[in-house]
Amino acid sequence: MEKLQLFFQTAPVDAQVAGNALWLIIALPLLGAFVSGVFGKIIGRQNTHLVAVGAVGGSFLLSLLVFWTINDYRSMASSPFGPVTYAVGGDFGTWFQAGTFKVTFGLMADHLSGSMLLVITGVGFLIHLYSTGYMSHDAGYWRFFAYLNLFVAAMLTLVLADSLPLLFVGWEGVGMCSYLLIGFWYDDAQKAFAGRKAFITNRVGDFGFLVASFLLVLVVESITQLPVTSLNRGGADGATVAARYGQALQAKGPLATSVLEETARMMPNLLTQDIATGPLRGLSYGTALTLILLLFLLGAAGKSAQIPLYVWLPDAMAGPTPVSALIHAATMVTSGIYLFCRLSYLVVLSPTAMAVIALIGATTALVAALIAFTQTGIKKVLAYSTVSQLGFMFLGIGVGAFWAAFLHVVTHAFFKACLFLGAGSVMHGNADEEDITKLGGVRKEMPVTWATFLVATLAITGIVPLSGFFSKDAILHAAHVNGIAGFEWAGHLAYWLGVVTAAGTSFYMMRLYFLTFEGERAKDAKVPHAHESSPVMTGPLVVLAVLSVVALVHGLPIMHVQHGGHMVTQALMENFLDPVFRTTNDLIAQKNFVVLPKEHGGLLGAYVQAWLIAVAAGALAFWVYRRYLPQVKKLPQALEPLRKLSFNKFYVDELYNAVLIRPLTFVARAAHRIIDAVLIDGVMVRGTAWVTARTGAVLRYLQTGDAQMYAAVMAVALAGGLVWALMKVMP
Amino acid sequence: MNSIYDSRILNLVIFSPLLVAALVMFLPKTEKGQIRAVTLGGMLLNLLTCLWAWSRFEPKSPVEFQLEYRLSWIDDIGLSYHVGVDGLAVALVLLTGILGPLVVLSSWTFVDERVKEFHLALLVLQTAMLGAVCAVDTLLFYVFFEAMLIPMYLLIGVWGSEERQMAAMKFFLYTLVGSVLMLVALLSVYFLAAPAGLRSFDYSTLYNGLMAANRELAQYVKANPAGDGAGLSPAALALFRFGPYLFLAFALAFAIKVPMFPLHTWLPDAHVQAPVAGSMVLAGVMLKMGTYGFWRFAIPLFPVAARQFQLLLAALAVVGIVYGAFMCLAQRDIKKLIAYSSVSHLGYCMLGMVALTAEGATGSAYQMLNHGVSTGALFLLFGFLYERRHARLMSDYGGIARVMPVFTAFFVIVTFSSVAVPGTNGFVGEFLVLLGTFKSNLPTWLAVVATTAVILGAAYMLWMVQKVFFGQLTHQENLGLKDLGRREVLAAAPFLLLIVVMGLRPQPFLDVLNQSTQRYVARAQYASGETVADDAKVRVYVRSLPKEAVADARPAAPAPAPVPQPAALPARPMRLIPAQPQLQPATP
Amino acid sequence: MLQTVPTANYLILAAVLFSIGMVGVLLRRNALVVFMCIELMLNAANLTFLAFARERGDVVGHLSAFFIIAVAAAEAAVGLAIVISVFRSRGTVNIEEIQSMKH
Repeated sequence: MEKLQLFFQTAPVDAQVAGNALWLIIALPLLGAFVSGVFGKIIGRQNTHLVAVGAVGGSFLLSLLVFWTINDYRSMASSPFGPVTYAVGGDFGTWFQAGTFKVTFGLMADHLSGSMLLVITGVGFLIHLYSTGYMSHDAGYWRFFAYLNLFVAAMLTLVLADSLPLLFVGWEGVGMCSYLLIGFWYDDAQKAFAGRKAFITNRVGDFGFLVASFLLVLVVESITQLPVTSLNRGGADGATVAARYGQALQAKGPLATSVLEETARMMPNLLTQDIATGPLRGLSYGTALTLILLLFLLGAAGKSAQIPLYVWLPDAMAGPTPVSALIHAATMVTSGIYLFCRLSYLVVLSPTAMAVIALIGATTALVAALIAFTQTGIKKVLAYSTVSQLGFMFLGIGVGAFWAAFLHVVTHAFFKACLFLGAGSVMHGNADEEDITKLGGVRKEMPVTWATFLVATLAITGIVPLSGFFSKDAILHAAHVNGIAGFEWAGHLAYWLGVVTAAGTSFYMMRLYFLTFEGERAKDAKVPHAHESSPVMTGPLVVLAVLSVVALVHGLPIMHVQHGGHMVTQALMENFLDPVFRTTNDLIAQKNFVVLPKEHGGLLGAYVQAWLIAVAAGALAFWVYRRYLPQVKKLPQALEPLRKLSFNKFYVDELYNAVLIRPLTFVARAAHRIIDAVLIDGVMVRGTAWVTARTGAVLRYLQTGDAQMYAAVMAVALAGGLVWALMKVMP
Repeated sequence: MNSIYDSRILNLVIFSPLLVAALVMFLPKTEKGQIRAVTLGGMLLNLLTCLWAWSRFEPKSPVEFQLEYRLSWIDDIGLSYHVGVDGLAVALVLLTGILGPLVVLSSWTFVDERVKEFHLALLVLQTAMLGAVCAVDTLLFYVFFEAMLIPMYLLIGVWGSEERQMAAMKFFLYTLVGSVLMLVALLSVYFLAAPAGLRSFDYSTLYNGLMAANRELAQYVKANPAGDGAGLSPAALALFRFGPYLFLAFALAFAIKVPMFPLHTWLPDAHVQAPVAGSMVLAGVMLKMGTYGFWRFAIPLFPVAARQFQLLLAALAVVGIVYGAFMCLAQRDIKKLIAYSSVSHLGYCMLGMVALTAEGATGSAYQMLNHGVSTGALFLLFGFLYERRHARLMSDYGGIARVMPVFTAFFVIVTFSSVAVPGTNGFVGEFLVLLGTFKSNLPTWLAVVATTAVILGAAYMLWMVQKVFFGQLTHQENLGLKDLGRREVLAAAPFLLLIVVMGLRPQPFLDVLNQSTQRYVARAQYASGETVADDAKVRVYVRSLPKEAVADARPAAPAPAPVPQPAALPARPMRLIPAQPQLQPATP
Repeated sequence: MLQTVPTANYLILAAVLFSIGMVGVLLRRNALVVFMCIELMLNAANLTFLAFARERGDVVGHLSAFFIIAVAAAEAAVGLAIVISVFRSRGTVNIEEIQSMKH
């Protein structure tokens, strides 16, 4: 055992070499996208499959190598503030630079981005493989794989970037690919519209992201103007800190993560101080930071489908199912959580922002679960369940349980991808039937799909001992015991919302399962018998189902570490991410904005409670959908309005349409008619022309055509001028 | 740098299209193929010279105007043929050069009437645009600036669509109003900047001549913001009194060209009516003459007035950004939509420029290039579609991705560049402009409002893309549309290449712009107290006129290293005839 | 010692010539005569120039006079050509009948 551990903790390649090769991980899928997109039609379907799957597979192997390397404590990435352990990094030159601003092509893989690498390329590989079966009849295969490869490349850029602008490249890149893939079947105007809705909603978030980045630059620049004495902090002399900070800015630019981390380290002493220079002067650093984080929250809400920007995700199910699995469940939608984990050192400095994040997350989780109760599309239910689970992750971020949120990202990637692919398999075998009321009894006909779907369903409901249980309950536990300074009530509220949502999750997932797989086949089913999908599709299902179980080890509290003088038991993931969150934990310890419990006791109680909730809600679903409804056929009248409200998604789309989109379009039309056409073109431009023309019309009667008349006028004028001049000269 | 060729490149750059035009003149009218081929060849040749100039430009050199060439022209009013390029100018030269051949390719089959005249107009226009960018003498700039109008007027008025006459007239009158005012202002500056006998239209004379007065005025205004100008030296007093008016005259001329809100209504009409070549050139290069004019003349010559109007200009720019985007949402005509998107994008250019920060100015300069590439490409691509269908409304299309996949791919990529998705060229410019605005002394909310266009931009562009390309093929006429041919791909591919290259490797371009932006910011902030007033940095150094005022082709003396003194023209008496010994008055 | 004519005399002569020319331009109907009168006015101007040139001992006046002579010649040539073509098309050179350039 010792030897095995040593083997996995010994870097297979030199950290420097691995760091300098990081770009290859991105370049491979990018190349795949290029080849599939440009030559896909020429080289044929099989070759395109080979290229696309091979590119992601190669990327996965490289990611494995990198992951292995960063498990070695001797692997270090160089940063302007000294080496970073458990990380590799590479700098590939300046992207752009102007004035004092600079961005480099800097990539870095630490335990956080390393895990994401494996999830993206691993799940991505499985989904690519699955797609070769799922899209086997589609003429646009080359387009599909080009987009999918491009997406993987963009997502990898997002997680590997070591500066916010470069992260933003991936951030918008995944949005762009998502747009292309949702509208993949562009013949259908509805689907094209869904793609556009996704992109524009994401853009609202990107607006927040951009403004937040700009404000961060202003904050960083104002710090460089501070007197060095104010940068003194325990063990470091202000002058040294300032000098190193300046050098880092020169080398990496103000938005590099290393610079931001150092900024966060300076913050505890500055939070209440007012910014003295620059456009933000007058604001305190704390307020500015809260503002920035809330804007980042807007950005993250856009990408990760949180209130108020979640509306695009359910519509995004218009895309092919593998896309829903990869982009809208496993990877892209988690980038908001990734962003906050990356910037965790800033997050913990603002209790206000944390409370808002936690509440937004919890509310989203609950609302989405309520909507999921009544949806009939198999993918729609899964989409709302994704929104709901993402809400859980935000809740985790908000209460400072970054590792738990991230663990949920990983486990969710496995079981939700499995669920989506399973749903895709069900649809594939049932003539693309999406409506769960028109399915039923698929279990016997599609045994592999059934088994894997069941495992994933149990995982998401949080049944012991599947992985979803550990990640979700780690979040709920943190919400229960952690306190956000000044906002303890928010934590408690979020906790109770979370518990209710957990019950709801169990209910709607079991409902989905029962309606689809159990019972009799619906009478209005499209085909009398479903057929099991090909091995190329079921293979990934099995792997993902296994992963949904195996991932539980990350949540096991098996690591015993020395912490603050006494032994503490940590979950595997918490321990694994410790190097990433070191600064964050230091700041928590320093500022006490997040009050962590002294003892990690009482775990068992919380676990049992959550388990009971899940089982009870599941049983209720069983009773309602397998016993009650088949008999009475209809919901009681009293519940009907509620069902309608939920089924119509609380009319949020209609609300946005009425409050935002219509007025904006109206203003645009009106402005065009009134300001442009009437005021500027009518009054100003044509008005000038009209006055000129009128004047001309009057004056032209002076033009008699008689040359002698003209000459006479000239002569008189000349004579007049002469007389005037003489009068001037003579007294 | 001292090669004899270097001092001649710009002449080649400017006049090679005109030479080719002379050649085209001799071709028979009916030989349309020949005319097109010769013009294309000429444009390619011109592109080569532009590339040559670009490669000979030294970004790190402290010399401001490089590849300089100066010849005396009308000595008595101090007019010389003086060309040279700084970073921004050489970038615009390259952009113009690249657009040239693509414009010809774009109209290969589109224009079939009066082919000869069409290509002559294109060539003359090319010369005028390049001349305006390269001119260091302000009167020379003015001449080229005005000369652009005529071929463009013809392009719109002769080869345009239904309402071409109206559009051409609107375009012409709008622009002329501004440029007449500019001429007046230019003459005033000419008289203000130097005493009689030393006057010259050369940029160096004008700028250096106003420097002392500008500094005095800046310090005075800083010390007493509400002062009435008492105690100022005559020159500074003149600037105090008339500077704002002169600045506004310049600003109006250039603002019309940009176009800034609310002077923009000529643009949609001109674009809608112009043939594809006209739209491309108009969007690609001519609009930049407005921003270039602000950058080179209006703001540096009157820094104090410019700072007084900074908020107004920034507000107009932001209104333009948002308003242009809103207008796009209300359009049904695709060309109009693209035209209004130009208003929005040019608003970014102006905003970055008046932010008066290094980031903003760099972004603004880069955005000028970006807009030329992405909007030029949009017009080019739409031109292909228009040629096939002769319809401009979105409702005339729908679902054509099915029949024209390659075209759709091209268009969507250009769309992403236009909405500034990172990785494309648009992002770098927009990011820097917005960052520069946030860092500037302009109110932060203004910058936030400007950022909302990120959302609106995506909304209108993707809306248009969906209407045109996606959904069911609803019109029978669209069923038979042919995808892009080889020539068309050839014309569009360079744009795609530029979009990606300029998005991923912007630094070489920014390096070229760097010195230019630094000088611009230093001049705009001259003596404002924001930056150290560094006279040596902002003063314009140019080569003086060759000693013999004979316009022969002898090589000029090799350019000396920048001489640390203002190179003014040698003093010349203003008398027409040299004074002769007076005849003795007749005595009775 | 040569008796010189005072400049004023030249100017008076020039003024007289100019006035005669102007009256002719304003009153005569025959286009040819009008032309001749215009020439007369130009020559009056010439005379003024030359008078001042002599007074100042400067050649600028001469230069201007030459310039005017050249312009007058050109103008006469073009003008006569126009008159001839007008005569051809309308059969008259009476300028009261030639009023087509009006509103």
